[in-house]
Amino acid sequence: MRFDRSTIFVGVAACAAALGAQAQSPQAARSPQGDTYESIAKLPDWSGLWEPAGGGGGGARPTQPELTPPYAAKAAEYRAKQQSGEIQDGPAANCVPNGMPSVMTQPYPLEILFTPGKVTIVIEAYSQWRQIFTDGRKHPEDPDLTFNGHSIGHWEGDTLVVDTVGFTTDTALGNMAMKHSDKMHIVERMKLVEGDRLQIETTIDDKEALAKPWVSTRLYGRHRDWTLSEYVCQQNNRNYTTEDGKAGINLKHGDE
Amino acid sequence: MTAQTSRNGRKASARALIAAGLAIAVAVPAVAHHSFSVFDMTTQKELEGDVVEFQWTNPHTFLWIDVKGADGKTTKWGLEGMSPNFLGRRGWTKHTFNPGDHLKVVIAPLKSGEPGGTLMRATLSDGTEMVNFGRGPGA
Repeated sequence: MRFDRSTIFVGVAACAAALGAQAQSPQAARSPQGDTYESIAKLPDWSGLWEPAGGGGGGARPTQPELTPPYAAKAAEYRAKQQSGEIQDGPAANCVPNGMPSVMTQPYPLEILFTPGKVTIVIEAYSQWRQIFTDGRKHPEDPDLTFNGHSIGHWEGDTLVVDTVGFTTDTALGNMAMKHSDKMHIVERMKLVEGDRLQIETTIDDKEALAKPWVSTRLYGRHRDWTLSEYVCQQNNRNYTTEDGKAGINLKHGDE
Repeated sequence: MTAQTSRNGRKASARALIAAGLAIAVAVPAVAHHSFSVFDMTTQKELEGDVVEFQWTNPHTFLWIDVKGADGKTTKWGLEGMSPNFLGRRGWTKHTFNPGDHLKVVIAPLKSGEPGGTLMRATLSDGTEMVNFGRGPGA
């Protein structure tokens, strides 16, 4: 039997489809996946902007991660330097964005957009975005290491399940004292809950940095009448942190 | 308690409490961009002066005011405020302060002693109070 290119392609596609079906739960297979505009119409209405902390301070109290001994030691050392004033601030003062997971909990809103095969989270803080592929693709075998990682997702009923890998170690777990490794893996379960809120349950595992998976749940309040604002941090940033962590402010104004 | 607050008795104690409350209130914006380590968040300083410029910019608004000292010398103060996205959703606009407006402001000053600080609230000559952070009108 002679195999031409199209036969091979069909074979590979069939294998990929079989693998994809295996990876998802039976419920996921039945749920609309937002792969076409008709399918998107069956997804829950997540329109409007979502403000962290429930949009009025009612957000769930975040839990603290349990670090492995080497990462706990690094965190203790960093905190001691903060206490003594040796480290006064971190890279964010120089307009370096926080990366995942903190990018999801900045005090500014998010907007979540559905297009066929993709969910896009627009993050007002530092004018950023995350793209979550819902077209059944897998993570790259050797992903580039980025601030917000590589995300794939699928719908289990009304819950969007997002799986993200591929993080640069330039970022941290919530504050600069607690670092993560490039093995960090984040699963987010997003769904609407009572009170017109979006709930995101975030599970972070990192065999190098975390003694056990860190699970935290946060609520976001909906503002249907808000629109996104631009946030170009470099526009008039007068704050700075030096290489060794000293903070300062630039008060030069006009032609002085 | 600082010497400054103990001198002023009960009113100062209330202010210290307000300052403590504000220190908690500012914990959230600190996550977004920078820590408040350059500011003395335990002190509230009052200033009166004329607006030179109100910069409606990211990551912070900046209010520049000329303040005349007891010696008659004018010093320009730079006062950092919350960002336009935060303030814009709380009734502020780029026209909230205009050049020439006479203001009374309450700030947490820079620890360095330079003429700058973080703006807490400002009162316009018509009595309108704009709160940059904390509770109250314009907050």
